[in-house]
Amino acid sequence: MAVSGTRSPRSTAAKARMALIGLVVVAAWLGMGYRLFEIQVVRAEELAEQGLSQRLVTREMAPQRGKIYDRNGNLLAMTVESKSLFVVPDQVTEPLWVAQQIGGLLGVDSETLYERITSDRDFVYIKRQVDGVLAEEILAEGMAGVFAHPEPTRIYPAGSVASHVTGFVNIDGDGQEGLELVYEDELRGVPGHAEYERDIAGRVIPQGYTNIVPAVPGTDLLTTIDLPLQYQAQESCLSALELTGAESCWAVVLSVETGEVLALVGAPVFDPETRQTLDPSCVGSDDPVACRMFANFAVRGIYEPGSTQKMITFAAALEENEVQVGTVISDVDDELELLEGACRSGNDDVHGCYVDFDEHETEDMTVAEIFTRSSNVGTIRVAETLGQARLVEYIEKFGLGETTGIDYSVEAPGILRFDPGCQTCWASAAIGYSVAVTPLQMAAAYAAIGNDGVWMTPHIVRSKVDSDGATEVARVETRQVVSPATALLMRELLASVVENGTGRNGAVDGYRVGGKTGTANKLGDDGRYTEETRASFVGMAPINDPEVVVAVVIDAPEHDYRTGGLSAAPVFSEIMEQALHRLGVSPDGRER
Amino acid sequence: MTAQTLRRPGVDERLRVLKGRKLRKPSVAPWMFMVLIAIVAFLGLGFARTSLDRSAFELAELNKGIAEQSALNEQLRLEVARLENPARIAPLADEMGLVIPSDTHQLLVNLDVPSPVVAEADHDGANQ
Repeated sequence: MAVSGTRSPRSTAAKARMALIGLVVVAAWLGMGYRLFEIQVVRAEELAEQGLSQRLVTREMAPQRGKIYDRNGNLLAMTVESKSLFVVPDQVTEPLWVAQQIGGLLGVDSETLYERITSDRDFVYIKRQVDGVLAEEILAEGMAGVFAHPEPTRIYPAGSVASHVTGFVNIDGDGQEGLELVYEDELRGVPGHAEYERDIAGRVIPQGYTNIVPAVPGTDLLTTIDLPLQYQAQESCLSALELTGAESCWAVVLSVETGEVLALVGAPVFDPETRQTLDPSCVGSDDPVACRMFANFAVRGIYEPGSTQKMITFAAALEENEVQVGTVISDVDDELELLEGACRSGNDDVHGCYVDFDEHETEDMTVAEIFTRSSNVGTIRVAETLGQARLVEYIEKFGLGETTGIDYSVEAPGILRFDPGCQTCWASAAIGYSVAVTPLQMAAAYAAIGNDGVWMTPHIVRSKVDSDGATEVARVETRQVVSPATALLMRELLASVVENGTGRNGAVDGYRVGGKTGTANKLGDDGRYTEETRASFVGMAPINDPEVVVAVVIDAPEHDYRTGGLSAAPVFSEIMEQALHRLGVSPDGRER
Repeated sequence: MTAQTLRRPGVDERLRVLKGRKLRKPSVAPWMFMVLIAIVAFLGLGFARTSLDRSAFELAELNKGIAEQSALNEQLRLEVARLENPARIAPLADEMGLVIPSDTHQLLVNLDVPSPVVAEADHDGANQ
């Protein structure tokens, strides 16, 4: 059979189509091959990173803020997990209902909440740091657009009792006042972070990449505060405010042997959790400073100490052997004019006239009598034997004019600065004017007398315990201010003030107490002294071997309670009695 | 014409018969064994991987449980601290007629007088 040399057109077209299809298939394979090469080789690293970044989640792990304890292990401050509720307005389908439901449960104004929910913002907090159980109840309602995220909250289980000690934190958990501020760095801890891969459902991929750096919890503070004593001291102060009509009351309780602050009390008080004052007269006030919400007067408030300062004057004179306890100062009047004409001038700006609180005839008085009766004139006569330089030297030795070094926020150094050419400043300083101190400074000065003449740094934190359990104990500075013999003499003089002098209201049943009253007129805004006073009492017990020093300052009591003996001494007595009982100090047999 | 040795066609003279050796077919058993090992290894790895994943999930659950229990513990500590707050207890005690002792009574003993009972009771010379 003969084969034709020419191909049919149909056959040629079929072959061409086949060739074209083959070409397309080959091209497709080549394309896929190229793409595969590009993905697996050329962009492999970049794409792997992209994929990992989509799966990889980084979460910061907030550290647990350190706890604050009292000396017996009672919790004063701790952090717990709470929920912060928020809405995404776009997702809220029934804003009015949501506002009414949540507003009722949280005690938030529904109308305000409605306005916020219907705003054009992407994210609106309803309320931060809500109790976890309550937040779960709200979320269980299944309201669209309502969510919660966990957030730590600082809780103060003792409420207002230790508020002036612990201070408080702000809504973000940063220390703002008190120990929370001073020890912010230690309490805060170190944040950690966790990197891990998660699947499309948000679950952790078990064998995936993980990098976890755990958070380091904050350091716990073990304070020297005795919570029951703190409470009793605060109650005494609050009662004094009610009785005397004073503006505020402050008390410091110090351990004589260790310098530990056993109680640090201020009234009015505030709630550290809400950061709201608990003083009824200040509720609704827009001026927290005027209402003394947070300022701790015991540490940062300064006042002219009045007669409590005389302890330093007499201790200095005895230490320098300028006088003895029995030395008689002759012709002590109830008025002393150091600058000519000062006592005849009605102008308060003219200084140099000093008078005793109680009028008396000109008489010879022993040093002990001058101290017991708190004679200003007699004290200035004693100070005269020292001279200004030595008097100031001892005032500084007792720690006035500089901060004590207590571990508390923003301590005031007080004022010990005499104007150049001031001829009477030394006399004013001898009786507690022209100097300004804090209640804590006075307490520390008296504690030196109780501690055989050794001044010691007062401190609130006994030890710090970090997350590894390592404990750092507070370091205390000490210095000899006067000799033990002088300290002993001063203790006897202080005891005579309570037994026979102006401080009788400071006595405590069963104990021999020593102390000194102080009453100083307050300076007005115009720089002149007003009729208002700051009444104070500082003392110690038992006087033979003192264990506790208590300083009480009452600001602006009513006229009937204007002196330290009338208003501060009874508060001192109450606090001292409780302190001695709390410490288990044996009575030394004296009945009131 | 040159005479040539005639060879039997198709016979290689280098080939020879060795006595005692038998030609055997290649065995498939080792291959089967290796394949079996590979399958077992594959399944084993899968099982191990699953077990590890399960353990990891269990561990995560345990950690979550620990965190929940720790949180509960903290809540309970907080509740205890609130219950022990003197500001809460004092009014309740007051309602019940309880008061803080205003005075402590202590018997002071003179240690100069020999008394073995007293000496054992209190070395400071004071009994409460």
